[in-house]
Amino acid sequence: MKRARVLHNNVELDISIDTDNRLLDADGVELNEQDVTWLCPVKEPGTIFALGLNYADHASELSFAPPTEPLVFLKGANTLTGHKQNAYRPDNIEFQHYECELVAVIGKAGKNISREDAMEHIQGYTVCNDFAIRDFLENYYRPNLRVKSRDSLCPIGPWIIDREDVGDISNLALTTHVNGELTQSGTTADMIFDLPFLIEYLSEIMTLQPGDMIATGTPKGLKDMQPGDVVVCEIEKVGALQTHIVSEQQFYGDQY
Amino acid sequence: MNRHSIVKGKLICVALNDSEQLSAMQQEFSEAPYKAPPTQPVLYFKPHNTWNTQAATIDWPSTGGPLYVGASLAVVVATKCTRVSAEQALEYVAGFSILHDFSLQEKSYYRPDIKGKCLDGTAPLGAKVTPIDQVSDLSALSVITEVNGELASEFPLSQMQRSVPELISSISYIMTLEPGDVIAVGFKGERILLNKGDKVCSAIAGVTELSNQVAG
Repeated sequence: MKRARVLHNNVELDISIDTDNRLLDADGVELNEQDVTWLCPVKEPGTIFALGLNYADHASELSFAPPTEPLVFLKGANTLTGHKQNAYRPDNIEFQHYECELVAVIGKAGKNISREDAMEHIQGYTVCNDFAIRDFLENYYRPNLRVKSRDSLCPIGPWIIDREDVGDISNLALTTHVNGELTQSGTTADMIFDLPFLIEYLSEIMTLQPGDMIATGTPKGLKDMQPGDVVVCEIEKVGALQTHIVSEQQFYGDQY
Repeated sequence: MNRHSIVKGKLICVALNDSEQLSAMQQEFSEAPYKAPPTQPVLYFKPHNTWNTQAATIDWPSTGGPLYVGASLAVVVATKCTRVSAEQALEYVAGFSILHDFSLQEKSYYRPDIKGKCLDGTAPLGAKVTPIDQVSDLSALSVITEVNGELASEFPLSQMQRSVPELISSISYIMTLEPGDVIAVGFKGERILLNKGDKVCSAIAGVTELSNQVAG
């Protein structure tokens, strides 16, 4: 089952998406996609974990040796926005890039979860685009919040697909297209620390809760983004997440 | 999990906001891996699982410790706040409380310290919010921490490298602040080493206080 959340006639709805890609409300009534605004599919976002340098080819692209321990950072829920929504390019920067990532959504709480039991704690999967602004990197808690916790810069969705419906996640194709052109192509097979490892690692530190999300990192293939660009991050069997880049002024409007 | 009623959304902490600590570490911060002193506020989140309350007992780390604590003035956001100037920043504040950040020893500021700062229940916040109109001059106040009744730390708020309005402004240009978001604006650079069973009480005279005990 694919589950999503949308705004329809100014009401937030929990919907499902059937095998014919029809959008169905709780009563099974079909909604026209043109009439909905996609929201973050996680209703009450918990802690958002993200992985840095978790694909060997991406680490070498950034001139880093692959880590021997996961590089985990946290993101605020202010970063989340839905499928087909706007994300902004900050003013006066040189380099903003997308990061297409497989996200596991936790469905069952746990502490000290073993690698063997880890997958039972995942409700399902979604896709995020964990944008980074490289100009704002500083060597304090790197990647720092100014780089990774900005409004709208972690689009997520379109939906959560149940774990059982995806099955094996160890070799899923992962692609990004910018304005229709393929700019990033990889596979989850190249992930350094896999989800069972990450769930064991994180839950040894802290209790994981339903609504927590783990964004598992991105492979090689960075490209600068400009207002007007349309970015699609896609993961095989999970979904394709589309984002529209706008300027900071367009995004904030009256608050600019 | 002991969910706190004051924090609704984000709990943001500001590290390295003690001007004395910053000047003492200038040399270290000009070397690798830092290469240059910070030009922006150094921020970290205390996530949902860390939120805790006045009088809560703090678990001893399963890794065996050692455990440290720092105390900070906590600013509670009243209204949605995006891209505000320092001059306007206090208009978005409901009031003040106090936060204890229990954590493992921080040996480096280079990478996010998930292992040290995200242990369950390690971010207790005072029981009440003192409305902003009852606090006249923040820079005249100090955060005082006692361990087992003895003075362990004193941090005058005038010693903060960046003021509360400056921090709210800077943060609001990164992330929209929402009602119930909390910012712990500054800790004394030197955190306090604790033992099992220690009673930690922090106070900002006339504003707020907070007591917690480390599990025995």
